[in-house]
Amino acid sequence: MMKKPGSAAVALLAPVHLLLLAAIALPSLYVFWMSLNESTYGADPVFVGWRNYEVVLTDPYFWRAALNTFVVTNVVVYLEVAMGLGLALLFTSGLPFRKLMFAAVLMPYAVSEVVGVLAWKILMDPNYGVIGRTLADLGWGMNWSASPVQGLVLVSIISIWQHLPFTFLLLYAGLLSIPRAVYEAANIDGAGPVRTFCHVTLPLLVPTLLIVVIFRLIFAIRMFSEVWLLTKGGPARLTEVLSVYLYEGAFRNGEFGTAAATGWLMVVSSILVASFYLWQMQKRIASGNA
Amino acid sequence: MPKALRQLLRAFAVLVVFCWSAGPILFVVSSSFKRQLDIFAYPPKVVFQPTFDHYVALWHQWDAFLPTLWNSVIASVGATVLAVGVSFLGGYVYSRYSGKLLAISAVYMIAIRLLPPIVVTLPLFPVVDYLGLSDTLTVLILLYASFWVSMCTMIIKTFIDEIPTELDEAAFVDGATHLQTITRVILPLSLQGMMAAAIFVFVYSWNEYLFALIFTTQNAKTAPLVISEVMDAIYGTDWGVLFAGVTIQLVPVVALVVLGQRLLVAGLTAGAVKG
Repeated sequence: MMKKPGSAAVALLAPVHLLLLAAIALPSLYVFWMSLNESTYGADPVFVGWRNYEVVLTDPYFWRAALNTFVVTNVVVYLEVAMGLGLALLFTSGLPFRKLMFAAVLMPYAVSEVVGVLAWKILMDPNYGVIGRTLADLGWGMNWSASPVQGLVLVSIISIWQHLPFTFLLLYAGLLSIPRAVYEAANIDGAGPVRTFCHVTLPLLVPTLLIVVIFRLIFAIRMFSEVWLLTKGGPARLTEVLSVYLYEGAFRNGEFGTAAATGWLMVVSSILVASFYLWQMQKRIASGNA
Repeated sequence: MPKALRQLLRAFAVLVVFCWSAGPILFVVSSSFKRQLDIFAYPPKVVFQPTFDHYVALWHQWDAFLPTLWNSVIASVGATVLAVGVSFLGGYVYSRYSGKLLAISAVYMIAIRLLPPIVVTLPLFPVVDYLGLSDTLTVLILLYASFWVSMCTMIIKTFIDEIPTELDEAAFVDGATHLQTITRVILPLSLQGMMAAAIFVFVYSWNEYLFALIFTTQNAKTAPLVISEVMDAIYGTDWGVLFAGVTIQLVPVVALVVLGQRLLVAGLTAGAVKG
């Protein structure tokens, strides 16, 4: 039996929605207003219309940051989903030291981005890191602080390492929720492991895969710490991603108007990705089994 | 494929997965117990004489680190209590009531959480300053909690959904008020959900970097921020001491995640998939 919400329900909901309104909703809307003004420290904002957007959209550094974000986001998310799926299959098919391995796989989730960057930065260092020196001995010496591409490769590795537990857990839960009877039926029909995976497991996993990909895309678009802590956007601003571009503009150069325009462009791209997910979710809530 | 080969491949995969996941963490933790000379030894020393020198040095030389660790404790506990508390009330409403407006507000709640956090820092920066909250733990607690109430509400709602409504009705019939029903009937039965939600907020707040970087300058600095500053210092980084500090920051929350993995899995499926 579900009740219609009355004043008591509104009162109970108020704290959650006040926090969301004050810390996220109103500021996000206000950013749009900021993006139409020119403002910096200690000066009154001046309305300039769409000019900040013109400035941002004609800035080659913005496009470099947008390109980096696009490439890194896609590489990270699809590699990570592939690895997470492989890992989840390894776990459902049984493996030695299961409990220990499950704990080990979860561990990076508990680690701060700062510590993740610190550990990988040292491990990959070409002069004194274990992996970096091994790679150098094999003739694949990395120099990620001088080469933008290698810098972004390391950023992607760290990002995948950090978020793989999340992706793995969702995919693993999705695999476990596939009824056993389906596999038995495939087995009786004489399907081998590859065919079973392609024609039974994968189609049934599509809803989970969609959620994982969308979630991870949204969280990858906002990537900041990995890049900021590893390269500071350098060399020569070539490894900047959108968040770093925004941070530089606002908190280093005090250009809040153009930073707000960048921010709003990030919001719009996140919304585009998210709207698909929300559309799916609303369908489910509307049908009453949220 | 012969069975032996398959088992060998499986064992190899397990080893690779273990090194990939736990390797960097074990590297940091083991380095904090190595002598300065051994830390960067190549090939790395797997067996070594452990030393506690770096921890002693941390205590004596890097006395700025411990207060920041304490700041992290306050910010994380504060954000967790706030987020889980208000999310419990919200989760109750979303579980027990229905309506079009409520359904729309649920979608809005999830949607708003998907916006990039760095965007809200732009307008909040002057406001926080104006309110005198700049460089305080209060602003961190409020921000951390705000970014997690959506997911926490959904997690707790899913757990409250499991409590039969007959229990609420029985309490009403027995003359309990609305508030009494919530605190005496629903609350004790949704503790698991609240703990699941709490793990997410705590781990996030304990490790958060971006908001701490923007909103704190001195007094309210948290441990991750200070660690990042030391690791960026070009000259004279005392790696052993840094690793000791990092280990202290790292180990409690890794233990929390490993011990609370059941709740973590339940919370994640409740919050992300069902929500």
